[in-house]
Amino acid sequence: METQKIEKPAPMIETVLSIESPPARAGFLRALGAIIWKDLAAELRSRELLSAMLVFALLVILIFNFALELDAQTRYNVAAGVLWVTFAFAGTLGLNRSMAMEKDRGCLDGLLLAPVDRSAIYFGKMFGNLIFMLLVEVIVLPVYSLLYNVNLFQPGLIVVTLLGSMGYVAVGTLLASMAVQTRTRDILLPILLFPVMIPLFIAAVKASGGFLQGIPMDEIWPWLNLLLVYDVVFIAVAFMVFDYIVEE
Amino acid sequence: MLFFLQEGPAQTGNYMIAGYVVIFGVMALYLVSLIVRRRNSIQDLETLQSLEEKEK
Amino acid sequence: MASKPVALKILDIITILLLLVATGLVFFFAPLERVMGLVQKVFYFHVAAGWVGMLGFLVAAMVGGIYLARGERKWDIVGLASVEIGMAFAFINVVTGSIWARPIWNTWWTWDPRLTTATIMLLIYAAYLMLRSGIEDPDRRARFGAVYAIVGFISVPLTFFSARLFRTIHPVVIGTNQPGAEGAFDMTADMRLVFFFSLFTFSVIFVDLLWHRIRLGQLQDQVEQLKLKFNV
Repeated sequence: METQKIEKPAPMIETVLSIESPPARAGFLRALGAIIWKDLAAELRSRELLSAMLVFALLVILIFNFALELDAQTRYNVAAGVLWVTFAFAGTLGLNRSMAMEKDRGCLDGLLLAPVDRSAIYFGKMFGNLIFMLLVEVIVLPVYSLLYNVNLFQPGLIVVTLLGSMGYVAVGTLLASMAVQTRTRDILLPILLFPVMIPLFIAAVKASGGFLQGIPMDEIWPWLNLLLVYDVVFIAVAFMVFDYIVEE
Repeated sequence: MLFFLQEGPAQTGNYMIAGYVVIFGVMALYLVSLIVRRRNSIQDLETLQSLEEKEK
Repeated sequence: MASKPVALKILDIITILLLLVATGLVFFFAPLERVMGLVQKVFYFHVAAGWVGMLGFLVAAMVGGIYLARGERKWDIVGLASVEIGMAFAFINVVTGSIWARPIWNTWWTWDPRLTTATIMLLIYAAYLMLRSGIEDPDRRARFGAVYAIVGFISVPLTFFSARLFRTIHPVVIGTNQPGAEGAFDMTADMRLVFFFSLFTFSVIFVDLLWHRIRLGQLQDQVEQLKLKFNV
């Protein structure tokens, strides 16, 4: 077990280091791919992150079932809210873990030493987290449909889930990389993340609720636009300030 | 919302007093915290400076 | 610890005089509002406090940017100072708003966009202070604080917009949020004078408090440097 832990960072540092002074764009993409790949590879081997997120998400839904007495009528009205709260909670778990792993095993230092653009590290981690988040959602959504007999497979809802998760991991990755470098790491992430995330939650819940209840499109558009604006603004901001978070 | 029907202004003097107690109360508290923290910092600084003197 | 500069002493006196005059204007000059009665007088300082709160957070985000660009310690001290003052006044703003709402809207609290945004804003900056308190290294604390001040401030208009959109689709039960909502009133010329005077007074209070808080910050910084040196 111990040896396995030590071995893990090795392949990715090699991959990243093997990029020798590349022409800017190709190097960026290759670094990005390498970072995403090493997260996925590590996860494939241990499966600890995904399984934790999944079990946690299902537990949250279970608790909601009893807390809200989800009968046939309420079910339709609150489905969007329940889903997004579940994603948000499971998401913090995943974000914390994925950044803490980097920090504890010294991977972050390795990454920083590697001659790659810092923004490649940010986007790499972001897409890694996005993939985990989407994987959880891909499993939670059908399970939820099955348990409550609500049809969640609507193209609109999938778009909302994608846009919402994007914004979530964009800010989440940035704040999680701050939170893991503090004394109060695990407690701090939700406190930092949730107040900033509120516009995204409102928009995502209203838009998904709109699709579920079959509200006319022109009432949903403002929410979709808000989601888009949020994503664009915060990806841009996070990209600009990430350098200062990992600078040492 | 009965006061919309009544003659003359509503009797809301108590709420006004409560409001201004909060306004001046919070500002006073903040001032006190500034003063206390300043005093503590000055003490710390003096202790540290005397420590520095001794080391020389 | 440098002794208090003369300019600051003068500013202190001006601030106190202005606050006295503003208070006097509110209580003895501003006319009694016909419908709401005395509680309407909370409005002058309520809005002024909200303005100072926003100003504080805006300054924090701006100096956060400057700190990241230049890396000079003094900008971090200014940032923390203005967040702290902003929080104190944003708190005044929310609480006095709630006190005003009790007789006028017949409730202490409603999920009106402004109320919601103001409260979330307070939570953001509470998180800012918690973030800072969890970091020992002063340099890192300054960088993270600057980043969070920027991220938090950018989210505020989005929060306001989303809360507003939320409400226009879902009408509120108590008090409407349309323009000319319950508790709205037309300011007379006298009221307007008192209102703008309060705004001005509170802006001066902000500058004065900021100056004092920056001096405290410099002092604390000195102490921290010495402590790091001695490794206590």
